Amino acid sequence: MPKKKTPQVESTEQVEWTPKVEVKEQVTDLRTVLDRIKVREGVIGYILRASTSAAVDIKDPSKIIDYAVLSGSAVESAESLSEAFELGELHSIVVEGKDLKILLLTVGEHRISVFMEKNVDHLSIYKEIS
Amino acid sequence: MNEEVYAAALKNALVEIKNVCPDINKAFILMDNGTIVAGDEQSVDPNVERAINSLQTLAEKATSVGGLDDLIIDGDKAKVYVSQVNGMYSVMALSKHANLPFLRTVNGIVLPTILKVLNGIGSENALPAPLKPAPIVPRIEPRPAPFKSLEEEVEEESEEETVEETREEPEAQELVEAPEEEVEEESEEESPRPVTDLPSQQLIVDKFGGFMVRADTVQLDYEVLERWGSMLNVKEISEVDIETFSGKTTRCKAKVINDQKFEGRGLIRIPEKTCEALDLKRGELVRVKPVVPEE
Repeated sequence: MPKKKTPQVESTEQVEWTPKVEVKEQVTDLRTVLDRIKVREGVIGYILRASTSAAVDIKDPSKIIDYAVLSGSAVESAESLSEAFELGELHSIVVEGKDLKILLLTVGEHRISVFMEKNVDHLSIYKEIS
Repeated sequence: MNEEVYAAALKNALVEIKNVCPDINKAFILMDNGTIVAGDEQSVDPNVERAINSLQTLAEKATSVGGLDDLIIDGDKAKVYVSQVNGMYSVMALSKHANLPFLRTVNGIVLPTILKVLNGIGSENALPAPLKPAPIVPRIEPRPAPFKSLEEEVEEESEEETVEETREEPEAQELVEAPEEEVEEESEEESPRPVTDLPSQQLIVDKFGGFMVRADTVQLDYEVLERWGSMLNVKEISEVDIETFSGKTTRCKAKVINDQKFEGRGLIRIPEKTCEALDLKRGELVRVKPVVPEE
């Protein structure tokens, strides 16, 4: 009997520990990927948002607030439309304006917004991030 | 334009787009104020209304990217495509594997074309004065006279001469007014004239416009209106019928010319919009008849 109890305790500790390590790696990976994407021609910047923190890298700092508000609004709108039309889990949102477009996606607990010019291929960016 | 016709046309356009792109599950068209103009009947439920409100908010916030043109939401089970067309938004729920580039192309051709046609029809219907295809008042048959009808003479002259020449020659106006005087003399001898036997006068068109100008009101000389008033035994001539040589007619309210420099020149001052509706240019001749007020 005591031989059976010991391995159970060990396995529980492993399950609790493992995700914490993964999250740190994911953030680092995402930042690296986004920094790589940011230097692409036509990409204006990104916002990486977690539950308690955010990283912003946008060429024109005066636009940060506007872009952050727009990102939030786009996600809200997409969630409402998803509920109305039963889209299921959201993979990506693309908002196209007359001047720019935004690609929004969620990776784990992180919400990513990438701002770019209209001629940039957002699908390749999506594939690279996800 | 009638809203029902507008909605029906847009709904038909949506049906046609659905026929071409069978991947569309639900579709509707929104005005920028959030009102659904056309769409599936089952598409309006509380969730959709909430979605429309959030879409409106997004459209307002999208000024930082130059306004909302397109929104594509890719979900696990399906997609949503929102597209801005001439200030309206088409919202389409699509199946997971819908051919989005094809739909965007079809949507980008069909809806703007339909809206352009509808707007064109709408603006044609918004003319300032009601037009009739044929003259509304029968013309007065000139009485047998020893000389050629003066009206005919004037008509011939107007065909031969340019518009500018017509304006410069005061004889033309005098010739036009002459038969009216003759009619006036006869009217004193005769019993009350029938409504169809109304005096008419050819006048030269002068356009005028402005912010506060009413499209349905024309201006004439005080003398002309007064003469007609006394001929018809009415206090005041408040309306006139205008007939162009191309056969277009309209009824307008009549007022006295309020600018001294246009007085006594045989002009009828017509608002620009009405001129456009009648296809009239400055300097052209029109036949003007008073409208006898109903008792």
